[in-house]
Amino acid sequence: MKSMDALGIAAAIGAGRISAVEAAEAALKTIDALDGKIHAFTAVTRERALAEARAIDNARAAGHPLPPLAGVPYAAKNLFDIESLTTVAGSKINRDLPPAKEDSALVARMSGAGAVLQGALNMDEYAFGFTTENAHYGTARNPHDLTRVAGGSSGGSGAAVAAGMVPLTLGTDTNGSIRVPSSLCGIFGIKPTYGRLSRRGSYPFTCSLDHVGPFARSAADLAAVYDALQGQDTRDYAQARRAMEPTQQLLKEGLGNLRVAVASGYFRENAGPQALAAVAAAAKALNVSREIILPEAQRARAAAFVITASEGSNLHLADLRSRPDDFDPAIRDRFLANALTPVQWYVQAQRFRLWFYHAVMRAFADTDVIIAPATPVAATPVGADTFELNGKQLPARPSMGILTQPLSFIGLPIVAVPVHGLGPLPIGLQVIAKPWREADALRVAAALELAGVASAPVAQL
Amino acid sequence: MTPDQIEKYVDAASAALELPVSAAHRPGVLENFTRLAQLAALVNEFPLTPEDEPAPLWKPGV
Repeated sequence: MKSMDALGIAAAIGAGRISAVEAAEAALKTIDALDGKIHAFTAVTRERALAEARAIDNARAAGHPLPPLAGVPYAAKNLFDIESLTTVAGSKINRDLPPAKEDSALVARMSGAGAVLQGALNMDEYAFGFTTENAHYGTARNPHDLTRVAGGSSGGSGAAVAAGMVPLTLGTDTNGSIRVPSSLCGIFGIKPTYGRLSRRGSYPFTCSLDHVGPFARSAADLAAVYDALQGQDTRDYAQARRAMEPTQQLLKEGLGNLRVAVASGYFRENAGPQALAAVAAAAKALNVSREIILPEAQRARAAAFVITASEGSNLHLADLRSRPDDFDPAIRDRFLANALTPVQWYVQAQRFRLWFYHAVMRAFADTDVIIAPATPVAATPVGADTFELNGKQLPARPSMGILTQPLSFIGLPIVAVPVHGLGPLPIGLQVIAKPWREADALRVAAALELAGVASAPVAQL
Repeated sequence: MTPDQIEKYVDAASAALELPVSAAHRPGVLENFTRLAQLAALVNEFPLTPEDEPAPLWKPGV
């Protein structure tokens, strides 16, 4: 069970080889056995898992057709509303809030697809960080090396999948919080186009930049869960009014005529040797030699930083005034500093955002997919304040996202693709497509998997 | 911004916002604001035209 993928579990349940209750019990047993070492979960929803699983088994017994993820165990970052649980968003402060009255949009979509919720997952407080070293809930450990971080802010979501606790998780990505843990934990993740999936019922961080999305251990699973999460939600203002665009059946088309290039410039200069080796392996497998420069990427990262500073701190201003010591010390001073951002900086960053979007679209004109590294380095040790990149020491918490931040800034759809075997730990690629072209990125991810470059083996624990 | 400008700004802005910064938090706040100011400078120095409008768009009726 531990190494089975989501579609394999759904097929086994559909064929009657295992029951949904057996799948749920196996996942709960694995979580019980491993989470003392990993700290991926902050709550385990045992009763709900067994109830949802029994409903699937009853539906099958009654001869009803099963939904696409019937009986597949999953878990959600603890900023997604889960009915009757308090949405803590990695914080101590939010424990004072009442329990959620209903599931968030994505959790409801997962239930509709037949998936079985196992619990809520650890994260950086209020999604503000790239390491999931959380003062209130512990550090999410990297299943491939327990002395290292899982990445963040969706660190529990990355670690739970890499450890084989569940084959699917949900997370969010404002500046890289799906792609960074995917890279450090060696799994697949997708940050869809800004506005594609409903954010209703997910605790916000930076409204202008917040995305939601899933993690998985194969491209096929990722496409299946992404498809299950699509759909209109009139209660999310930020969601675009677009029809569903299913991707799962498109994976078999392979690379086809997709025009692929490798990002150079900023994305090469800010990558370490292992990240560059991963890009080179992908380029070789896809026979890609063309390089592309996304202009002013460093400035885009800076502008995303300014927007995050302004909007993120605004949300917490009342608590920063009245109870600053209840924030995680790792982020408190940053939140306080960010609350002082001059509005002129913020408006300039939002103006630059539109300039950068048009500049990137011009660079993208004769290309369908761009490949770039996801993180500059592989997972860093727990507690490290800095990491070395090409001879320079960088602050660890804000810097792991330097390659992801310029791209979420303009909402492009990106699949994080894991590459194992180039060092002791995995590292990820970003497969970047044009807006609303998630299928193109997923096809390239599937092609890299087929070529043997990408894989997401369960960590040996 | 110079270190002196940053100190003066942080003190004035926190007072204006009624956001107390305790002595224990002040060094960390100054360090973080300095990093933010350096990054903001990269954005602020970039020439934009009046046609480069802010990205957020209000959508009445949606």
